[in-house]
Amino acid sequence: MLKILIPTLMLLPLPWLTPKKWLWPTSLMHSMIIALISLYWLKNSSEEGWTTLNPMMGTDPLSTPLLILTCWLLPLMILASQNHMAPEPLSRQRTYISLLSSLQVFLILAFSATEILMFYIMFEATLIPTLIIITRWGNQKERLNAGTYFLFYTLAGSLPLLVALLLLQNSTGTLSMLITPYNDLTLTTSWSHKLWWAGCMIAFLVKMPLYGVHLWLPKAHVEAPIAGSMILAAVLLKLGGYGMMRIMVTLDPLSKEMLFPFIILALWGVIMTGSICLRQTDLKSLIAYSSVSHMGLVAGGILIQTPWGFTGALILMIAHGLASSALFCLANTNYERTHSRTMLLARGLQMIMPLMASWWFTASLANLALPPLPNLMGEIMIISSLFNWSWFTIILTGAGTLITAGYSLYLFLMTQRGPLPQHITALSPSHTREHLLMALHLLPLIMIIAKPALVSGWFA
Amino acid sequence: MADYREAPLATRPKTLDPNEYFNLSPEQRRAEEERAALRANLKRQYQQQLNNPHRKELIEDPALTRWVYARANPYTNFRPTKKTSLIGALFGVVPLFVLYYTFKTDRDRKEEQIKAGTLERKFSLSY
Repeated sequence: MLKILIPTLMLLPLPWLTPKKWLWPTSLMHSMIIALISLYWLKNSSEEGWTTLNPMMGTDPLSTPLLILTCWLLPLMILASQNHMAPEPLSRQRTYISLLSSLQVFLILAFSATEILMFYIMFEATLIPTLIIITRWGNQKERLNAGTYFLFYTLAGSLPLLVALLLLQNSTGTLSMLITPYNDLTLTTSWSHKLWWAGCMIAFLVKMPLYGVHLWLPKAHVEAPIAGSMILAAVLLKLGGYGMMRIMVTLDPLSKEMLFPFIILALWGVIMTGSICLRQTDLKSLIAYSSVSHMGLVAGGILIQTPWGFTGALILMIAHGLASSALFCLANTNYERTHSRTMLLARGLQMIMPLMASWWFTASLANLALPPLPNLMGEIMIISSLFNWSWFTIILTGAGTLITAGYSLYLFLMTQRGPLPQHITALSPSHTREHLLMALHLLPLIMIIAKPALVSGWFA
Repeated sequence: MADYREAPLATRPKTLDPNEYFNLSPEQRRAEEERAALRANLKRQYQQQLNNPHRKELIEDPALTRWVYARANPYTNFRPTKKTSLIGALFGVVPLFVLYYTFKTDRDRKEEQIKAGTLERKFSLSY
């Protein structure tokens, strides 16, 4: 664990000590080496238990894929930010990279924490660098509103979690994730227990986000710069899913009564946000709402608490992280050329940038859950376990899948096909850096097809 | 006037000029000329920007900017009327209760069947 954590901590002083010419290459190489070393976590030496264990941190098959995704995303974020940070003064570029690295440290500590309270502290700590990135480096004046929504939705949801966790600590004496699955709490349906259950879950449901409390997500995703959008879509949403998975093992059997409103909100949210996607004119807003839609399905899978539900949720989280981040990078390539997020303005791009069109194609196909990509594997498992839970969910999830395919194709056709606008004359060709970025996003996604057991969590 | 088309090289005779034909008043003709002048000015500005070889950015279209802003900020202009309240209730509130009722009765029915022993619970490796 320290083999990864100490190099990541060293990423904090790195930008301040390197000369200007080597700033971006060195931070990129350093974070890429950390990402490659993190792959050794995939070798889980004990089948369902914790490996690389020390008194504070450990990895198990649930947190390993998320940790590797986090470590993989940092070089991609640095690669994506290089262009739009180029005109800024040097110290601001260094601050930016330091912020990204500090976010990375908090995320690694969060996913590898064995005490739920440490996870909570890191969960809150990730809010601060993200808030700074959104409000300082966002591009429109709505970024202030976006930062406020982001911060206060998540904080308001997570303060009850603190109370609930302290209560759990007092009543059972420990909050270690190694012990909480074996807590025998046998919660009843009394009001206090219901409030306690809600307190544990609401923070993660707001973060996921659940449909009713999802308003922060489109704002934050749209107003954030590219690195902020990437880390938000790929990893920060998964913090909510991971937290839910960890804490739900202690909350039986009350979950069986309490989960109805949340499953209903999640599944209805899949359809509603999918329909909103079909009406969007803003490119990043469409991708943000599609994130809400996929996460609604993940929330449904986790709340069901069956093996396939959990497995499907984890696979979909990883696959969605990569695919959504890829789509945001593609939207950023458009934005850097036209400085506008309107989809109408950047149509017919297949004619002028055909190789980028192939990346758009693959990313859109990943978004609409094309087999054999892991997006489909996750969705199929969640949909099957929901069907086992109750037959009528198939109506909602089936319609949701249909609408997902609809808006993913709409996204592809709107940006790539169609008439090229005649007044846009100065679109620079795709940089190699952008192609590298897209390849690094989509190749791991395609490679997971070969061994989905890597990202399947406990029940591989 | 219906089927008259312009000859390619000749000008239109005075009696077929729309202002004369429809017998418009001098004020209307002046207003039309002013509007035509404004349109020509806007078109000239657009053409200058379009054909400028050193232009690297988009031509800013204020109508597009207004439209994008309007699409992005629906909530500030929202006013609850009968129609919007009905749509909101129909799509946002009623389905939640309908779905709650559906799932609850389905799950309770399954629970009763399990308790009565009538549900055939076959062994399933994955669930």
